[in-house]
Amino acid sequence: MDFAFTKEQELLRDTVTGFLANRYDLEKSRGIAKSGVGWQPTIWQGLAKELDILGVTLAENVGGMGGGPVETMIIAEALGHALVVEPFVDTVVIGGGLLSRAGGDRAMALLPGIASGDVLTALAALEPTSGYTLHDVTTTARRDGDSWVLNGAKTVVSSGPLATHLLVTARTSGTRRDTAGVSLFVVDFDADNPPTGVEVHGYRTIDDRRAADLVFDNLNLPADALLGIDGDALASIELAIDEAIAAVAAEAVGLMRKVLADTVEYTKQRQQFGQPISSFQVLQHRMVDMYIELEQSIAAAYLATLNLGADAAQRAKAVSAAKVTIGRAARFIGQNAVQLHGGMGMTEELAIGHYFKRLTAIENEFGPADLHIARYAALTRP
Amino acid sequence: MDLDWSPAESEFRDEVRAFLEEKLTPELRRAGRLMTSVYSDHEASLEWQRILHERGWAAPAWPVEYGGCDWTLTQHYIFSRESTLAGAPLLSPMGIRMVAHAIVAFGTPEQKTFHLPRILTGEVFFCQGYSEPEAGSDLASLSMAAVDDGDDLVCTGSKIWTTHATEANWMFCLVRTSREEKKQRGITFVLIDMNTPGIEVRPLVMTSGEEVQNQVFFDSVRVPKANVLGKIGDGWTVAKYLLVFERGGGAAAPMLQVMANSLASAAAQQPGPDGRPLIDDPVFAAKLAEARIRADVLEILEFRTLAALARGENPGPAASMIKILGTELSQKLTELILEAAGPRGRVYQPHATAPGGPLSEFTPPADGYVSGDEWQAVAPLRYFNDRAGSIYAGSNEIQRNILAKAGLGL
Repeated sequence: MDFAFTKEQELLRDTVTGFLANRYDLEKSRGIAKSGVGWQPTIWQGLAKELDILGVTLAENVGGMGGGPVETMIIAEALGHALVVEPFVDTVVIGGGLLSRAGGDRAMALLPGIASGDVLTALAALEPTSGYTLHDVTTTARRDGDSWVLNGAKTVVSSGPLATHLLVTARTSGTRRDTAGVSLFVVDFDADNPPTGVEVHGYRTIDDRRAADLVFDNLNLPADALLGIDGDALASIELAIDEAIAAVAAEAVGLMRKVLADTVEYTKQRQQFGQPISSFQVLQHRMVDMYIELEQSIAAAYLATLNLGADAAQRAKAVSAAKVTIGRAARFIGQNAVQLHGGMGMTEELAIGHYFKRLTAIENEFGPADLHIARYAALTRP
Repeated sequence: MDLDWSPAESEFRDEVRAFLEEKLTPELRRAGRLMTSVYSDHEASLEWQRILHERGWAAPAWPVEYGGCDWTLTQHYIFSRESTLAGAPLLSPMGIRMVAHAIVAFGTPEQKTFHLPRILTGEVFFCQGYSEPEAGSDLASLSMAAVDDGDDLVCTGSKIWTTHATEANWMFCLVRTSREEKKQRGITFVLIDMNTPGIEVRPLVMTSGEEVQNQVFFDSVRVPKANVLGKIGDGWTVAKYLLVFERGGGAAAPMLQVMANSLASAAAQQPGPDGRPLIDDPVFAAKLAEARIRADVLEILEFRTLAALARGENPGPAASMIKILGTELSQKLTELILEAAGPRGRVYQPHATAPGGPLSEFTPPADGYVSGDEWQAVAPLRYFNDRAGSIYAGSNEIQRNILAKAGLGL
């Protein structure tokens, strides 16, 4: 058993952290996130070209680093600490994973673009009626000669407005909640000029990211738009989401480290009743409980990350345990950081307000704690 | 002992219901339903005040001679409860429910004649100037200076968390006229015309993106001594008197029951996390039931407080307990509603809500598109704004201090 980082991993952590400390300004990034295009392509190019980390988990023959889950964890935590909105998880973790596993000419041709920062992907899996359930798919794809025709609707497609390529789940056989019959398609995409047969409603999310609702009305796709085997995509998609949850858990750790440190510092500075409010025992105990939640979250991020290579059941169990732990911690630490900052925590004047919103979004992304408690319970039923 | 209304009270309830049924337009109900915080859309709130005023019900808790109603405490509760259940917008509490009571108790005849009728019509709209950047929970340490200069006090300093400072034309404000050994002394309660030269309002952008709160800066602002409420140096007495009105007298449970009922209705139409109907998800059902149980119990606690007040007894620190229970249950419900909203709980779409103030840095979509239902659009904003419940009007930590002292004698 070994929890130490290698020299290379330490270097990776320090490089990413240093880059963001110098180049990623919170106020500037929020301004761009709220108005304008919503993200900073120059930062993305910096991550690709200067740091060379967008291919972190991709194979070396497609321009990647050949790294694994630990490298992803290190990067995601650093991105969380700086509250980076650029779509690392959507493109590198989810897109990179799905395309690598799908194989085939079309997918392999896109992977170097992920590493170089030129390809951005968005997974369109959830539907208005699906909740968070990946096999609850009513969008259909039918063969029409040499092409595919898609019909259906997807909702809250993260990074949809930025994406150069959509990865869309659609049912090629079976009925609504069947686990078999779910296929994955790639769609060349530009939200400002969508392909015929795609209606796009882009919007901002509460954490100043971008997402979209999509409607497919007889969208025509070429034969090679099908990624992987017809009707057999679910296992890869579930793995992609588990990998995303592990990465987001690490991101949340980065966020919560910053939030706790800021809160402790604020209570030391803030004077009321002639003393720093950090001297009140009720607030000290509150911050200790936040600290304990943070330490459990760090452990949970390891639990998920180190089990990503395990068999599907063990992996799912570890990832759900992490999501539940992170969700609980994100809520407790976020809410109490606001409470201890008083009115200032309710504003966008300090970092805390922005971090609280991202922590709230993380609770919501990839399924709430209740869903993962249920998945854990089902997986551990004797 | 019983829980029923008397025949006269039932008759009154029916009268209130008939009035609400007739006067609450769909637009006003919509403003009530889509509230993102404890503050209604400003215009809708004023409109509702005008309608209530026509009926003589804008300020029922005032003495009859100033335009109040000759109601029992139970009737006040019934009115408040029925208004909430019907989805009426809330009136701004600052004027009618707060400073007016201090003007009645401490005001000069001139102050009463000028302010009270205008507060009723909405012509005078008050904001509250209590907290300062360095004086929050420790309010008595406030330091905004008021220097005696002939007929005026010259005020310099800053107030923060001033709700609706841009809409208000008057502020009731605590200023420091002298430094005494006991910090509660030397504070003076003044009424400030917001159009006086030297006042600058800076809106604060909240996490919801709404500009409801403000910081207000005062640079040598001349306030006539005729606008001092009570005696110079005795403002803390006035403020303490007002606190009773800020913390008590409302009906928290009905609002919480309305929130729970709307959530239950929404959940019947909404897929849960696993794609099956949310209302059939046993985990969700249990959480909703638990919240409802807490609201039902809180309602009885409120009734007991009301009954004690009606008998002329002091209900003790119950107001602090009800403030804690009400705000924390409200926060719990906003969490549950946000969870129920599913993935769409992440979408920022304030154009589908009735925000409590102007929106910062937001351009609505040209076609007005809303992802999902209106309640899903309200959910995250209500969740963010409701975090203020455990901070404002004396943080819940301060309320627990009060309960430790006054409730347990610690």
